[in-house]
Amino acid sequence: MENDKVEYLPEDAWRQWHTELLQSTVNRVYERMPFYKKVLDEAGIRPEEIRSMEDLKALPFTSRTDLASNYPYGFFAVPLRDIVRIHTLGTSASTNPIVLGYTAQDLNNRKWLTRRFLVTCGVTPEDIVQICLDPGMAIPGQDLKEGAEALGALVIPPDPLSTKTRLQVLVDFKTSVLITTPSYARYLMRHLVQNGLPLASLSLKRLILVGETLDEETRREIELGLDMETRAGYGVSEATGPGLAYECPCKCGLHLSLDHIIPEVIDPCSGQQLGPGHWGELAITTVTTRSNPLIRFRTGDLTRLNIEPCECGRTTWRMAPVRGRTDGLLAIRGVLIDPADTSNLIAMWAGGKRLPFLMVLSDKDYLTRLELWIAINEEIFSGSLPHSTTG
Amino acid sequence: MLNIRNLHTKYGPISVIRNVSLHVDEGETVCLIGANGAGKTTLLLTISGLIKPSSGSIVFDGNEISGMRPERVVQLGISQAPEGRQIFAPLSVLENLRLGAFHRHGKNREENIARDLNEVFRLFPRLHEKREQMAGTLSGGEQQMLAIGRAIMANPRLLLLDEPSLGLAPRLVDTIMDTIKTLNNRGITILLVEQNAKKALKISNRGYVLETGRIILQGKSSELSEDSEVRRAYLGKDYKEISQRH
Repeated sequence: MENDKVEYLPEDAWRQWHTELLQSTVNRVYERMPFYKKVLDEAGIRPEEIRSMEDLKALPFTSRTDLASNYPYGFFAVPLRDIVRIHTLGTSASTNPIVLGYTAQDLNNRKWLTRRFLVTCGVTPEDIVQICLDPGMAIPGQDLKEGAEALGALVIPPDPLSTKTRLQVLVDFKTSVLITTPSYARYLMRHLVQNGLPLASLSLKRLILVGETLDEETRREIELGLDMETRAGYGVSEATGPGLAYECPCKCGLHLSLDHIIPEVIDPCSGQQLGPGHWGELAITTVTTRSNPLIRFRTGDLTRLNIEPCECGRTTWRMAPVRGRTDGLLAIRGVLIDPADTSNLIAMWAGGKRLPFLMVLSDKDYLTRLELWIAINEEIFSGSLPHSTTG
Repeated sequence: MLNIRNLHTKYGPISVIRNVSLHVDEGETVCLIGANGAGKTTLLLTISGLIKPSSGSIVFDGNEISGMRPERVVQLGISQAPEGRQIFAPLSVLENLRLGAFHRHGKNREENIARDLNEVFRLFPRLHEKREQMAGTLSGGEQQMLAIGRAIMANPRLLLLDEPSLGLAPRLVDTIMDTIKTLNNRGITILLVEQNAKKALKISNRGYVLETGRIILQGKSSELSEDSEVRRAYLGKDYKEISQRH
């Protein structure tokens, strides 16, 4: 179905389509992935028992730990020869990274989803799109670059440049759309003011904010400070990338890509599915992903769903902007950091010794910074610790 | 137009269709691909009422037709050109075609049937040439044309085609596929079952892949024809390697 039509399907068509997609996905993962065959067998669920969307809640969850513990290729539903790209993510509590593979079709889907997200946010082929994201957001950075290219815009991809150079590019290259995190947008805004650059002389007309929670206050501050419109996007690297949800001109929630995922909100403690309007953890079932299909993947992001059709005419469900995490991970400039990993890292430096530590988040010049305060003792100074296990 | 939900069909104790859900929108050509014994024909026979499902729902234009008698299904606007053609060999081509319209009634019955006969003959001039000939003496390709023509004589809105290319020479396969495209362009919605997945995907909008009675994949035909797994299993690319995964 054409991308522009699919967002406007009536409710009963969505119900039919989701039932079909959920059933074929469960059939496929059961046949192709030993991990899911095992967990479904253990839960006593046979694929043919999935009769409607209501049955989704009977299925077991998938966590980041499940992905990491199947390192490296245990979570692939297709032969390795069908995979054309691999990314690794180091956000799990396990020592192994998460390995994500993509078939050519998976990459194509990510590209077109990102393209749809950007088009809905008002990006046109006439735009000059600059992407400023930290290296930790390399995967969404690449997806955004490819999506913007697919719609025919001129793209300035993410580069490890200084803020001064980025600003120079912004001004001299006449950037019209900037894609960045809310915190970096505020940081840039401050630099623009500090350097006395007249905002009116910028070609910039729109900011697309990704990777972090976006509260109304921050948004208003950016929109007023830069005198331009902002739009928000939401993505999950493990699922379909940055085009997972995006804002239409109404800016009343982010439209979810229901043609590729089935979203639900659950109670993070009990795992119970929650109805529309209730805040809880977003769980995602991917229904078109060929390489790493996910059943009820727990994102750790706190949101709520609105299933009413939008004023813009789209019938796709909307999620509220993410307002926090449910799993203790810290989202800093779009990068997820697990305190357990930090503890492991300190222990490696300290020759296996577990040292008490504090993770302190500060907001210096609008840019979120993470400081690590480690409690040290005499052993550290005397050099009597066993040798560090890292290089 | 056609919405199937959680369909199960059994032959005795053996499940052949297991929890199949699919839909066909008005104006679409949708294909079902899968290996021999995957349940493709059984699915079509269940839709047209020749086999009763053990459970599930088949809704056509808002009417529940699951388990309905075949003649009633035909009256509602679904007709099928069966696998192996199943024409009446001792009857003439014309008689076979008129049988396709057996259920039609109303005051303009004869007029409408004559109009549709002309339509079939325009589509298949060979049938017109051989209209008085016994159907059993036709070539394989001509018999297939007759089977499709007979199904069209029922004036269907949804046409179910079961392996229309089976046993035909490559050039005739192309002719039949072109005809299916023409029928679709004239407003007939089509659900096509084909072992020739390549040809079927080429002329359809969407496809479903059936494996041991279950749908394991679906999507736009353009995507499915590029899918490595579909190419290996159903498009004749490295068939043996399907099992050599890990």
